[in-house]
Amino acid sequence: MSPSVRLQELIRVIRSARTQCEERGVIQRECAAIREQFRQNDNGGRSHNLAKLLYVHMLGYPAHFGQMECVRLIASPRYSEKRIGYLGAMMLLDEKQDASLLITNSIKNDLSHSSQYVQSLALCTLACMGSAEMCRDLAPEIERLLKASNSYIKKKATLCAVHIIRKVPELGEMFTPSAHSLLSEKNHGVLHGAVVLITELCERNTQTLDNFRKVAVPELVQIMKGLVMSGYSPEHNVAGISDPFLQVRILRLLRILGRNNDRASDAMNDLLAQVATNTDSTKTAGSAVLYETVLTVMDIRSESGLRVSHPPNGEALNVPYISMTSLLKIVQTDHNAVQRHRGTIVDCLKDQDASVQRRALELSLALVSSVNIRSLMKELLLFLSTCPPELRAHAASGIFIAAEKYAPSQRWHIDTILHVLTTAGSDVRDETVPNLIQLITSASELHCYTVHKLYRALVTDISQQPLVQVACWCIGEYGDLLLKGDCEETEPVQVTEDDVLDALETVLQSHMSSPATRAFALTATMKLSTRITENVDRIRSIVSIYGSCIDVELQQRAVEYNALFRKYDHMRAAVLERMPVIDKGQTNGEIQAPPNLLDLLGGVCPAPGDVTVSLLASNSTDSDITSFSLQAAVPKVGSTSYPTTTKPCSTTNESPHQGSFCQDTAQIDSFPTTAWS
Amino acid sequence: QTHLICCFSPNNRQGKLRLQKWFTPLPERERKKIVRDMTTLVLARKPRTCNFLHWKDLKIVYKRYASLYFCCALEEQENELLALEILHRYVELLDKYFGNVCELDIIFNFEKAYFILDEFLMGGEVQETSKQSIANSIEASDMLQETMEEYMSKPAF
Repeated sequence: MSPSVRLQELIRVIRSARTQCEERGVIQRECAAIREQFRQNDNGGRSHNLAKLLYVHMLGYPAHFGQMECVRLIASPRYSEKRIGYLGAMMLLDEKQDASLLITNSIKNDLSHSSQYVQSLALCTLACMGSAEMCRDLAPEIERLLKASNSYIKKKATLCAVHIIRKVPELGEMFTPSAHSLLSEKNHGVLHGAVVLITELCERNTQTLDNFRKVAVPELVQIMKGLVMSGYSPEHNVAGISDPFLQVRILRLLRILGRNNDRASDAMNDLLAQVATNTDSTKTAGSAVLYETVLTVMDIRSESGLRVSHPPNGEALNVPYISMTSLLKIVQTDHNAVQRHRGTIVDCLKDQDASVQRRALELSLALVSSVNIRSLMKELLLFLSTCPPELRAHAASGIFIAAEKYAPSQRWHIDTILHVLTTAGSDVRDETVPNLIQLITSASELHCYTVHKLYRALVTDISQQPLVQVACWCIGEYGDLLLKGDCEETEPVQVTEDDVLDALETVLQSHMSSPATRAFALTATMKLSTRITENVDRIRSIVSIYGSCIDVELQQRAVEYNALFRKYDHMRAAVLERMPVIDKGQTNGEIQAPPNLLDLLGGVCPAPGDVTVSLLASNSTDSDITSFSLQAAVPKVGSTSYPTTTKPCSTTNESPHQGSFCQDTAQIDSFPTTAWS
Repeated sequence: QTHLICCFSPNNRQGKLRLQKWFTPLPERERKKIVRDMTTLVLARKPRTCNFLHWKDLKIVYKRYASLYFCCALEEQENELLALEILHRYVELLDKYFGNVCELDIIFNFEKAYFILDEFLMGGEVQETSKQSIANSIEASDMLQETMEEYMSKPAF
C-alpha cells in the first residue's frame, strides 16, 4: 500500500479486514508509514496523514506520536492544516500533556487572525482542552474578543470565558463587567452564551450573585416573555417552542437568582405562571422547558398558588420517568401533593424499565411516613425481592432508614429487618449486623420470639452472612429460651440441645461461612455452655478442635475459651452471662478527648504545634480486645480529597479482658498548614 | 454542562465508536473504560424503555437513530430532556449537511462530523441555537478550506 493513500481509501481497507488481527496489521503498517512521513519535510500531505492517524485513534489504537504533528499543523498558514491540527489537538492532547503548552502561542496568534474562522478554531480548542495556565495567559485576549463587534466571535468568546472561569475561578472578576452588557444582544447564540456565563459567575461568587440579582432579573424576565409569547420564529423554533435551549438556561439562571430572595422571586412569579400555561408539553422540547420551570418554581419562594398542575409529558416512553423525576423534585417542598400519586408511584416500582424503577424507589422512600409505613413497606419489600441487582443496596438501606424512623412496633421492626436480610443479605452494609443486635437486645420482651425466628431462618439457609451472624449471636445469647420450648408470640420449635449445637456446627464447618461468621458461631457455641445442661462436653470438644484451626482469629478465640474451661471455670458463668442492653452510639468503649480538639475545624483552634490525644477505653464486650491502636486523621481543609494525613502512633498489644481498661496516648505534631489558614 | 457526547453502532455487546467528544479532562485509559461501560449499559437496555439511565453519579441520555446510538453523559442536576433535544439537534445538523445522513457518512467523513459538532457545542454547552446559522458557518469554513487546496473530495464508497 503506497504511503500516500488517501484517508477514505485507508478507512475502506481497514473496514474490509476480516479479523482483528488483520486490522491490526493494516494499521501498524500504515502508522509506521505515517510516522515516517511526519519526520519528513512538508510534502503537501500532512493533513491527510494526521486525519488518518485520528481515525486510527478513534478505533482505539495509540496515536501519541501525532501530538507534535498537531502542534506543527496548528502553526501552519494553511486553513485546511490548521483545521485538522486543532481537531487533532482536541482529540490527542489534554491539559495534562506537556505538548499542550506548546500550542498556547499559536492559539494566541490565531485569536487575532484576520479570518473569523481561524479565530473560531482557536477559541474552540481553548474552550475544549485549555489548561489553567493557558487560560490565565489568554484570558485578556478573550476579554477583548467579548467586546468584538462580530456576534459569531462574541458567542464563542463567551463560552470560552465560561471555560476559563471553570478552570481559574479568580478570573471571574475580569469577565463580570462585560457579562451584563451581553444580555442586550439580539443574537440568540450570544444571548445563550451570556446567560451561561452569568450563571457560572453567580454560582461561584455571592457578591456577583447579589449584583446580578438586582440588575438582571427584569431583563431576563423580559427576554423570556418575548420567547414565550412571540409568534412562530422559523430560525429558532423546535416543535412549537421558540428556542428551548435558551429558555431552559434563562429559567435556570432565574432559579439561582430567585433562591432565598422574596423580591426577586416575586418579580418572576407572573412569568413562571405564563410559561407553565403556554408551553405545550406533548413534545420533548416543551416538556424540557416545563420541567425546568417546575424546578425553578420549587426552588424559589414561590406563591403557594403557583403549583404546576400537570407534570411535563414528552414522548410516550419517557412519560413515567419524567413524571417520577418531577415528583421527586416536588416532594421536598410539597409532600402532600405527591402523596396523592402514591398509587402511580407504587405501580412504577413494578415497571420493566430499570430507570423508572430507580426513580420510583427514591420517591417511595421519600413518601414514607408514620401513616403509610405498613402498606408502603409491604410494597418496598416486594420490590426488594424482584428488583434489578443494581438497585438492591439502595433499596435495602432505604428500607432500614425508613423502618428505624417509623416502625410502629419493635416486633414489626425486627421482622422487617429480618425480611431484608433474608432477601438481600449480601447487599446490606456492614453496620447492619451490630445495629440489629442492638435493636434485639433492647426489645427484651421479644427475645424469645426473635430467637425462634432466627433459628428457623438459620436452619433453612446459611448462605446470607449478615443473617447467619445475627442468628448465631442470638442463639448464643438466648439459647435457653429456645430450648424451653414455649413462646407467646410465635409457634415454638421443639429442639434438643443437640439440634441447636448441630446448627451452629454446620455454620462453623460450611465453606459458605465467612471468617467473621465462623467467629460468631464459635462464640455462640461457647456461650451456650452456660445455658444448656447436658451437652457441655460436646461444646468442650468443639472448642478444643478449633484450638488448632488455621484461621488465626478462630484459633485465638478457641484457645482462650479452652482456658476458660480449664483454668477459669469458676469465672465462666459470669463471663458468659446475658449481656446488658447495649446503648446506641456506644459500641466499643468511650472516647475522651481534650475538649478543644472537638472543635478543630471551627471556632477556637489550638495553635499549630503538638497536640496530645489520650484515648481511654473500656471493654464492654464479652470477648477480649486483642489489640488496639490509636490513629489520628487530619482532614485537609478546603481540598476536595478525603482525609489524607494520618499519624499512626503507638499501638499496644495487651489483651485486656472484659471490663478492664486500656489506655493509649498519641502525639500529633504535623498538621497540614492549610488546616490553619 | 455535558461531560461527553458520543456516537456508536452496536457491535455484539459493546459498541463500535464512531465519534466521541470529551469536555472534561481525564486520562486516556479512564476515558476508554467509561465509554466501554456506557456503551455496554446502553446496548443492554430493553426495548420500549425510556431514554435515560443512571451510571455512577451521572445521567446517561441516549437515543437511537437507525443503526447509530447517540448518547451523552451529564451531571445529576442537569436537565435530561434538554440533553435529548441537544442530541436530536446534532443529528438534524448532520442530516442537513450530508443530506439524509447515514452511518457511512459519519465513518468516512468523521472529521466533518467533528467540525459540525464544534460549531454546535463548546466546552460542553450549546453555542448556537439556530440551525441555519451553523449550516452557514460550516459552508463558509469548507469553502475557505477548498480554495486553499483540493483535498477533500465528495465521499465515494
